[in-house]
Amino acid sequence: MSARSFWRPGKGQSRAAVYSFLGLVSWFPVIASFNLYVAEVTRINGKSMYPFMNADRDSILRRDVCLNWKWGANRDLERGMVVTLRSPTQPENIAVKRVVALEGDVIRTKAPYPVATVMVPAEHVWVEGDGPPGTSLDSNTYGPVSKQLITGRITHVLYPFNKFGPLEWRDHKRPLVY
Amino acid sequence: MVFTHFRARPFHLTLQTFKLMCAVHLFQTHVFAVGATSGPSMCPTFAVDGDWVATDMTHARNRRKELRIGDLVQYRIPILENADGIKRLVGLPGDYVCMGTPGERGEDQMIQVPEGHCWVLGDNLTASRDSRIFGPLPLALIKGKVVARVLPYGQSGWLHNPLQSAETSQLGS
Repeated sequence: MSARSFWRPGKGQSRAAVYSFLGLVSWFPVIASFNLYVAEVTRINGKSMYPFMNADRDSILRRDVCLNWKWGANRDLERGMVVTLRSPTQPENIAVKRVVALEGDVIRTKAPYPVATVMVPAEHVWVEGDGPPGTSLDSNTYGPVSKQLITGRITHVLYPFNKFGPLEWRDHKRPLVY
Repeated sequence: MVFTHFRARPFHLTLQTFKLMCAVHLFQTHVFAVGATSGPSMCPTFAVDGDWVATDMTHARNRRKELRIGDLVQYRIPILENADGIKRLVGLPGDYVCMGTPGERGEDQMIQVPEGHCWVLGDNLTASRDSRIFGPLPLALIKGKVVARVLPYGQSGWLHNPLQSAETSQLGS
């Protein structure tokens, strides 16, 4: 086989098919890296961010689809941001929560946390779901979480279309720090 | 020839290099990686400087459920930004571990490692930043299991778990 035929497949159709398949496969690592480190389209499961997300969860099975921005997700966090993180208690699960307090903040905890007030330690954040206490497995159960567990930020809503656009996490009315 | 092909197409060369870099990076973060260690916390297993180790990344987050007490794990340090550490696994979820340092105040305090966490310690307890400082380590921060020493050349080889499981016959006698 001459070198030229390696780079420019011959007339054989099966060989052309193999090369086009290899050309397709060679893009998989690029797409996987993009989804891991830059952005990914994520579907929100569960009730922990209700009613901010999955607002129709009581009437239909539709789940919100969001853009999960991963680049520099655990840098320059602000109170109120909606982030995805690996659950500290279930390593294979990705959770969606709201950052409620940053390092150094003193937070008043909710049930079932055993202590009334907590100061969030260095490089950690306090995350909570939006629903009423007891509807979300969050920092009130497992305590402050390391920023290293945060995998991304929810920046845009893609579906349903009536909510399409940037996620207005700043406008969400909620007592963030007591 | 390959060379003439890419010389005529510089953009194609850049693109193929980028694709290759992505593939190599994914291999190093999800399958296998070799890297240098530094720091005194794992003396005498690893020297303060100059040791290179190989890590099996398929054990990330303990997803294969094969990590055992005594294994060496590479993890993201929970109290630092984008820094990795290598420590020895001392407790898995549900285990009771000593929170303090033997011979020091607080050595009798115990904790049950919570669900989804583990307890890691350095071999050199007097100079180690480990679970005694940052508490239980979420398994989600574990990147892989250190399986071999690569350098220095004379000491290279597989690293074996030094703990042997107790034989039931020994317990019975």
